[in-house]
Amino acid sequence: MIRLKNVAKIYPPNIVGLEGVSLHIQPGEFVSVVGQSGTGKSTLAKLLFAEERPSRGCIEIGGWDISRIKEKDIPILRRQIGVVFQDFKLLPKKTVYENVAFALQVAGERPRRIRDVVPRVLKIVNLDQKAGRYPTQLSGGEQQRVAIARSLVHQPKVLVADEPTGNLDAINARDIIDLLQRINEFGTTVLLVTHNREVVNRVKKRVITIDDGVIVSDIEQGRYKI
Amino acid sequence: MFVSSYRITKFALQNFWRNFWLSIITLSMLVLTLVTINILLVLNFVTNQAIQTVEERIEVSVYFDKEVEQSTVDSAVEYLRGISQVRDVVVVDPEKALENFSKNHKDDESIMASLEELDSNPFGPTLIVKSYTAEDFDIILDALENPEFSDFIREKDFSDYQAIVSRIKDTTDNIRFFGMVMSAVFLLIAVLIVFNTVRIGIFIHKEEIGIMKLVGATNWFVKAPFILEMIILSFVAVGIVVLVSYPVLAILESKFALFFGGVQVGLINYFEINGLNIFGTQLMVLIAITVISTLLAMRRYLKV
Ligand SMILES: Nc1ncnc2c1ncn2[C@@H]1O[C@H](COP(=O)(O)OP(=O)(O)OP(=O)(O)O)[C@@H](O)[C@H]1O
Ligand SMILES: [Mg+2]
Repeated sequence: MIRLKNVAKIYPPNIVGLEGVSLHIQPGEFVSVVGQSGTGKSTLAKLLFAEERPSRGCIEIGGWDISRIKEKDIPILRRQIGVVFQDFKLLPKKTVYENVAFALQVAGERPRRIRDVVPRVLKIVNLDQKAGRYPTQLSGGEQQRVAIARSLVHQPKVLVADEPTGNLDAINARDIIDLLQRINEFGTTVLLVTHNREVVNRVKKRVITIDDGVIVSDIEQGRYKI
Repeated sequence: MFVSSYRITKFALQNFWRNFWLSIITLSMLVLTLVTINILLVLNFVTNQAIQTVEERIEVSVYFDKEVEQSTVDSAVEYLRGISQVRDVVVVDPEKALENFSKNHKDDESIMASLEELDSNPFGPTLIVKSYTAEDFDIILDALENPEFSDFIREKDFSDYQAIVSRIKDTTDNIRFFGMVMSAVFLLIAVLIVFNTVRIGIFIHKEEIGIMKLVGATNWFVKAPFILEMIILSFVAVGIVVLVSYPVLAILESKFALFFGGVQVGLINYFEINGLNIFGTQLMVLIAITVISTLLAMRRYLKV
């Protein structure tokens, strides 16, 4: 599903983000990416949804080589990949419903389909009762669930979550991870970047450890060990 | 296509209402800019009108000798009318000239007394020549030097006017120049204010725009509501200015009429005739400036 060949990302002037990363993720996998701060985890995530482009190497998602993706194709890529962030990235002037609907509207979906899909994904994250609220009227955990609901509207094959629990307490974090696992069970490939030892140990799936831009270990059924 | 235009319009209106104060600030800036420009327009119009009023009252009186042949007078009239700078030539016959003269000097006893002593009318035919602008008088005076009839001209009464004419010329030139400089400066300031207001507005939306792009919005879909909002704001701003300007112009009109001794300067009339052009142009230019500012700000700060 995701294939990286010898990928390097050098930020100007010559800061190493990633160096010589090769990686293959099968469809339906749940992969945790761990590592110290500033080692290149977010860089890896950003390369996957084309927020950054690799300086060297090749990145394929579902057979699509996005290493040198054209500006106009980026929206198409992003509609096929769900993204979730530490800071939720919700539109503050839109309600929960509108935030989720927005991801469909930008793709030119018909109103009928939007009316159908939005309540469904809000139900999955258990927020259908709070659809009319604005993000500021929600707790952190709820906001993150809205973000996850939004990432689901296109039924993505891949979900990239960069420290989705970073701003949440333990209980909310667990809810979010459970949610991601449930999404994974329905067939979506999940790439979870995290700092959180408890989270990794709980998932008990493949763990990739990055240090200084390089993959230093890649273990099936791994545990957090830094 | 229809669905996305509908959405873009909806988002633009949502932007407006949900960022109400920002919209109001932007709108006031646009309105103030337009007001400034229209004040300059009114000033320019009134000065022109004032200059024209004065110029219309300037005339050269040409007094012919009593013995002049009627045909010479006629040919002088013909000749003057043929000059493109001459607006009008009025022929005053001797009786009328005498009447005018007595009327003008009826309080001056010595003049009236000496008039009385003459048993015949001392006046010959008189021409009153009017031009379009003060500048044209030099040409008219030159023309009167024509040897065909200059020998029969007893007097050209323009001495009083010459000073006025040159003073008006100086003043109008100064006013026009000053007005042009002022307009240019104000326009520049106005454009900068609009540009910066728009830029701040976009900057405030910086994060939002990043999010829109993250969830797969095309650049066009991100930009369009902001552009549309600017177009709507421009329309509203011009609308407000149009609504406000009519009563303000009516008040100004009466004030100016007082100032010019009861003469209507035709301000409202001018705006009624040219309103569509004036405000239409302002709307177009305003839309162009705001939209270009939006696009520049978005490209510069958001790589959209
Ligand atoms: N836009 C950028 N320009 C320059 N350097 C950058 C940029 N983004 C990241 N870096 C650098 O690249 C390296 C990797 O950054 P990255 O954000 O991937 O780290 P991370 O593993 O996600 O860290 P954290 O756990 O703190 O989020 C860091 O040294 C960082 O300073
Ligand atoms: Mg990071």
